[in-house]
Formats: sequence, structure tokens, C-alpha cells
Amino acid sequence: MKDFLINLDRRIIFIFVAVGVILPALTTFPLPIKPTPNVRAVYDTIEEVAAQNGTVLISFDYGPGSMPEIQPMTLAVLRHCFSQNVKVVGMCLWPQAVGLVQQALDTTSKEFGAQYGTDYVFLGFKTGATSLVINMGRDFHGTFPQDLQGNTTTDLAVTKNISGLKDFDYVVCLAAGNTPDGVWIPYGQERYKFKFGIGCTAVMAPDQFPYLQSGQMNGLIGGLAGAAEYEKLINTAGTATDGMRPQSVVHLIIILFILLGNTIYFLYDRKKGGAK
Amino acid sequence: MNRDKILFLAFLGIFAIINIYLLATNSLPTDSTGFGTIVAAGITLSLYSFLYKDNPLFKFTENLYVGVAAAYTMNQVWYTVLLADVLNPTFNLNNQTGGTNEWLLIFPVLLGIFMLTQLASDKINWLSRIAFAFVVGLGAGLAIPRTIAANVLAQMQPSMQPITADLAGFNLFVILIGVATVLIYFFYSVEHTGAVGVASKVGIWFLMISFGASFGYTIMARLSLLIGRVGFLLETWLTLQLPLF
Repeated sequence: MKDFLINLDRRIIFIFVAVGVILPALTTFPLPIKPTPNVRAVYDTIEEVAAQNGTVLISFDYGPGSMPEIQPMTLAVLRHCFSQNVKVVGMCLWPQAVGLVQQALDTTSKEFGAQYGTDYVFLGFKTGATSLVINMGRDFHGTFPQDLQGNTTTDLAVTKNISGLKDFDYVVCLAAGNTPDGVWIPYGQERYKFKFGIGCTAVMAPDQFPYLQSGQMNGLIGGLAGAAEYEKLINTAGTATDGMRPQSVVHLIIILFILLGNTIYFLYDRKKGGAK
Repeated sequence: MNRDKILFLAFLGIFAIINIYLLATNSLPTDSTGFGTIVAAGITLSLYSFLYKDNPLFKFTENLYVGVAAAYTMNQVWYTVLLADVLNPTFNLNNQTGGTNEWLLIFPVLLGIFMLTQLASDKINWLSRIAFAFVVGLGAGLAIPRTIAANVLAQMQPSMQPITADLAGFNLFVILIGVATVLIYFFYSVEHTGAVGVASKVGIWFLMISFGASFGYTIMARLSLLIGRVGFLLETWLTLQLPLF
């Protein structure tokens, strides 16, 4: 038994994790979801933009690999914007995001009757990242003369009065890579001083906190938990809220395994130098 | 036949039986949507099969993903960059620039082509150096002032605020201690003994707590991806109406 526990097959842990995900997904039990100040800050800013009938630029910088985490955020933020008649301009610094964003825009615009061109515009992907953001700050129409569908941006109601990044009331970056701190903050926010908030994968979240403290971003939606908090704020439970049950159960399983592993290590195996 | 081969064949058999059942009972439509769902489910299960052991299904799916992702990216780049920003304005293909051709765009295109000569013979691959020199020069010119402003100066500013006698002041004090001790830990010109040794040990604790926070968030992120795929398998592929109970 002692040897079995010390050299526990990792596949046994995988089975526990799989059961911990599947069983809570099949059933339902209430778990409290309390929006944190960082998530609420993004929500509140969009409410402020709604009050002044403003426009939000959302940069969707993710792909299918991070879809389970970021797509619920995309849906929640778009639902919030469309429900409050906030105009949305979408763009992508990642080419893989285009199809996912188009899907999300189609779903949410139908739900709230948002019209393309008057309520939202999708610019699609454009290469360049840093130079693209710098150029967007100076000359929006020069950088994006056309949207994804080939319409001229100077003719579309949402974009015709946008001359640069400063004209957006809020810029939100929903990202799975380094675009918030590697592109948008140094080349956009620091230079053009617009209000900036992000939604990102949980892996990225700890690295973003210094930018919150410095005020370079005013809000942060971190991972699936952040998306669930946003869903709570807009009173629309989605996949993120449903995902909190398995997430919580598996976190408990992992904590138990960490405690078990350390206990066994200290009881039996410390002097021998660990598992074989 | 060894155990792995039996498991492999059993997996394929069970997957086929489940799909035949789903199609026969009209749970999945017999069109491209249903076929796409079956392919997506198969790919998901093939990738997770790596948790048992490396196997041909995993290898096939991994390579398939690389190919599909590359093709999709090429498609996006062609339509939104090369066609929209290079070919159309240069040769005025869609007649949207007032009948003029933007011939100046040929210069950046040439630089791009020069970069590809790196793959060509030794006779012409020196051309790539011109393009690389341009990229390095432009990149450094853009990045150095922006990085210093955004990632150094703007980050130092909030750490140098007056420490007040409230919770915010306490937080600031903790951050200040963390910054100072971690910097001391990475300062190798002085031997880490005495007061410097104590400070660097405190720095190690700050680093360990930071790594722990990052690891915790990483677990959350990876689990979110698993939850997303399990949700797809249960709801979209197996068409279960969740919650079951």
C-alpha cells in the first residue's frame, strides 16, 4: 500500500479529475458566484459608455485552443453591449479568432436585434499587431479602410466618426496571448491614453495585475471564473456559470491530492528522496 | 495482440457504435453538421487518449491540427491582408482608390519577398538581410521607448506612492517589500549573507508565492479547457439534456 501510494500512477489522478468534471456537469447544485471588483470595473465602464451612447472597440485575440475560456467572455460582453445599445467595433489580432467571433456576433446580435453597420461592425483580422495599433491611433480609416465584408468604414454609421483610438469610449481586449501587455498597453494605451480593460485566460491573469495597479487597465476578467462573474452581472447564466461546478469539484480533488502527496512524502519517503 | 492494441480497437469500435446509434436515432443530423460533430468528438477523444499513452491516433490528430491551423491562417492572411491591403490597392483591382494605383506599396512587398529569399540559394539569400535589418531597426525603434514607458516607468510610479495608514497603504508596503527583496535576490554582485541574505530569503518567499498563484491560475485555465471539451462531448455530441438530475 505504501509503495502504491508513493508511486501512484498519474492515470489514477486523471480518472479522479475526469469523474470530478463529468459528474458535476451531469447534475446541478447552487454555488455562490460573487463578482470581484476587477470584473465589475469592466461592467461598470460599459454601463458608463451606454449612458453616453458611446462606442466600444473589442479586440478578440484568441483561438480555438482557448475557446472554452474566452468565448463565454465574448458572449457575455457582447450581450451586455447590445442590451445597453452600446455600439461595438470588433477586430482580431489573431487570425484564428475570426470564425469564433463571427459566430458570437451572429448569436448575440440576433438575441438583441442589433443591426450590422448601425449597432456593430466587424473588421476581421489584420496583421502587424504593434504597427497596426499605432496606425489605428493616428488614422483609423486609413488602417481599416474596409470591414470584413468589404464595406467602406467611412460609410458605416458606427465607424464613420472614428478617426483614431481616442474616439473609442472604451477599448476591451479579450486575449489568450500577450496582446494586452505586449501590444495594446505599450503601443496603444500608453500612447493614446484611452480607457482600457481586458479579459484573458487564467494562465495570463497573474501577469496582468501590475497593469491594474498602475492604472494602465481599469478592469480584468480572468479565466472562466471571471466570465462566470460577468454572466452573473448581466443576469445571463451561460457556459461559464455551468463550468463553475466541475471547476470547484476538481479544485477540491487537486487540493486533496496535493495534501495526500505531501503527507505521504513527509511520512515515508522524505529521506529516500521521493518517488521512483 | 497486446493490451494496447486491444484497447485501441475497442476504442474505435465503441466510438463507431455510439455514432451509428446517434445517427440511427436522429440524435445527430445526417448532414455536414452531424458529420462535423462526429469528427470534432473523435478528434477530442484522440487528443485526450495521450493521457493513457502516446499513440498513432494522437499523433495523427496533432499533425492534422497543425495543418488545418496553418491553412486557416493562410486563408485569413490572403483575404484580409494580401488581397485587401496589397493586391487590390496596388493594381486598383476593385477600383476603390479613385482610379489610382498605389505603387508605393511595392516597396514593402519587395521587402517581404526579400525575407523569403532566406529559403533560396546562397546567390540571392543575402537579400533577406536587407529585410531583416529593416525589421530589426523598426522593431527596436518602436519597442525600446514604448517598453520603457509602459513596462518600467509606468510600473515604478505606483510603487513609489506615499504609504498611508490604511489597507491601501499596507498593500503598497507589501508590494514595496516584495519589489525590494526580489531585486536583492537577483543581485549577484554581493554575497547573500547577513542582512542581504535575509532580504534575499524574503525575496525567495515572494517569488514562491507568486509561482504558487501562477500555478493555481494555470490549473484553473487547463481545467476550463477540459470542462469545455467535456461539455461539448456530453451536450453536442451525445446530445444529453443537462443537467440530468
